[in-house]
Amino acid sequence: MNLIDGLAATFLLIAILAVASGRVLSLVRLYSLHSIVLGITAAAVAALTNAGHIYIVAALTIALKGALIPWGLRYVIEKIGVHREVEPLVPLPVSLLICGVLTALSFYIVQPIVTGHDILETITKNSLPMSLAVIFIGFFMMIARKKAITQIIGLLIMENGLFMAAYAVAYGMPLIVELGVFFDILMAAIILGLLAFRINRTFDTVDTTILRRLHD
Amino acid sequence: MIELLLLIPLVTTFLLYPMRHKRAVEAISVLASLITFAATIYLAYQVYYHGTIDEGLLYMDALSTYILFLIALVGLVANLYSVSYIGLELKDGTIGKSKLRNFHLFFHLFIFTMILVGVSDNLGIIWIAIEGTTLASAYLVGFYDRDTSVEAAWKYLIICSVGITLALLGTVLLYASSVNILGGASDALSWSTLMDPTVLANLDVGLLRIAFILVLIGYGTKVGLAPMHTWLPDAHSQAPTPVSALLSAVLLNCAMYGILRFHLIISGSAIGPEFSSNLLLLFGLLSLATAAAFIVLSKDYKRMLAYSSIEHMGIIAVGFGVGAPLAIMGALFHMLNHALTKTLLFFGAGNILQRYKTREITEVRGLVSAMPATAILVIGGALAIVGCPPFATFISEIMILAGTIMEGDLLVAALYLGLLAVVFAALLYQVGRMVFGDAPDMEQGEISKWRPVLMVPLLAAIGILGLWMPNVLETALEQMTSLFMGGMT
Repeated sequence: MNLIDGLAATFLLIAILAVASGRVLSLVRLYSLHSIVLGITAAAVAALTNAGHIYIVAALTIALKGALIPWGLRYVIEKIGVHREVEPLVPLPVSLLICGVLTALSFYIVQPIVTGHDILETITKNSLPMSLAVIFIGFFMMIARKKAITQIIGLLIMENGLFMAAYAVAYGMPLIVELGVFFDILMAAIILGLLAFRINRTFDTVDTTILRRLHD
Repeated sequence: MIELLLLIPLVTTFLLYPMRHKRAVEAISVLASLITFAATIYLAYQVYYHGTIDEGLLYMDALSTYILFLIALVGLVANLYSVSYIGLELKDGTIGKSKLRNFHLFFHLFIFTMILVGVSDNLGIIWIAIEGTTLASAYLVGFYDRDTSVEAAWKYLIICSVGITLALLGTVLLYASSVNILGGASDALSWSTLMDPTVLANLDVGLLRIAFILVLIGYGTKVGLAPMHTWLPDAHSQAPTPVSALLSAVLLNCAMYGILRFHLIISGSAIGPEFSSNLLLLFGLLSLATAAAFIVLSKDYKRMLAYSSIEHMGIIAVGFGVGAPLAIMGALFHMLNHALTKTLLFFGAGNILQRYKTREITEVRGLVSAMPATAILVIGGALAIVGCPPFATFISEIMILAGTIMEGDLLVAALYLGLLAVVFAALLYQVGRMVFGDAPDMEQGEISKWRPVLMVPLLAAIGILGLWMPNVLETALEQMTSLFMGGMT
């Protein structure tokens, strides 16, 4: 039980580190690490609950999100020649402060469900507020960073948080659903990467604040 | 049999991939749409006469059949229209040959994902399919090599993906709420298992409430409910016009279908229907108000039609939110009426766009003299979309209003009526500006004589449905309404 809590705390910490990181490439590396921690958590859940199918999910998480997607993102970054800095819209120290507030907020929202009467009986339930915090942090990252690549990573971090929340409340989803969601995330990452190429080709930058032409 | 319905569009995408010849691409594409439509009709017939079909992961009841019918119908007419529309773009050099093939390829992939939404039994797979619709249609939204197309596609993908992530969290919480009774079985997310009364009564109430809020925000983003609607006008105005019709007339309904499934589960559980109905009512009225304001201010006619879609999704949400049988029946009927009318209007907008080469309302003048047939059809469509009698939209909007008054929600009724009046005046004023006046100096006449031929049946259908409702449709609407009133059919 402590193992899961520890992993969830690491998971949250890496998400906060990702917000603090000023370089695009280290952001990708942190995302990869984030996914690997998620994969290890899945494996731990599988071992503790004797649920064999979760091992498949754990292996897929590490292979796809820990290796393949980060590799693809690095490829896009090198091909486009993205500048190394992340160009935050909200300065890094302020971002960190907001992350702290978001974490506190998610504990405030979810703790009653975790500790209250027996709604959740999972051994992983303590990680629910942390995974909610990761979802918030990923969302914040999408808003507070200019580059297309950093928005993609924000979305992917949100999705990692979501998987962690699924382990927290119900040991993940039925296998067929989980596989389908994997497929969707992979496709979304590929399509967003291709669109980042097109944004770069059309506007000669991946700064998404330039996307302001359509309005009423 | 349901597998076949899924296979047709999927096989078509693979068949189209190696195609190079324009005629062959179009022929296969249209043929596939026709077969899809025929298969849907056959399945609808089965469901109508023999009741729900349940084949494990695939499931069709009256509600999903209705949505599938809309997909297949609008898919067919939009495909026919796009042969002329995209064909012209190839001729004047806007796009190349491979783009024409890609258009039809992604068109069928998009249809496939929407059909998957309709036929899935498992709420998790419905989520996967709704995310799939975003991914498949993103190419179509960013179809042209323009800076604004790229922008619209990016916003569409990012906003809808974030929204739908929240819906997945909602789905996970629903799954968690059923663990107590179903013990995490692999069919614990499937509709037919969840709707068992003993299961419904034992779902965890606390988790279910949060789940519904997340799903409403998540799928609501895709439905275009305010304030999550911001991607919608961009995507609808930038996509090729046949795709705009498809997005507006069926994609929004597909996402609404996702919300309705959750709404039915929440209503049947210990929470009761009050909670989710009130939220639907709130978001519906908010969407109506937002859309009304933007229709008054609109400068671009495709964006105006997009806001009108937000308005109509608001009307449908209000209908389901009110919860009286008459209002629910009206909302269901309105889904069909809106789909037919909006398809007609987007086709009209496509004709105007290819003739006037502008999307600005102020630059379109004298439609009556430049394109008489389109002008008449657009006037008819505009009257229908604002809910003038004798069109069917009038009937469905009145049904919702009457249901609201019967429930005693006079404030809701007043707001609903007031906002509809604003849209009525604003939309007709905007269309009037385009229709009358002197046409600018340019080539006159229709782009192709086939286009009005395709549009007339749409207008006729809305007119006829307003005066006379076929027995089949009436029974189908009653069956669906009884599903909402708590009876399983």
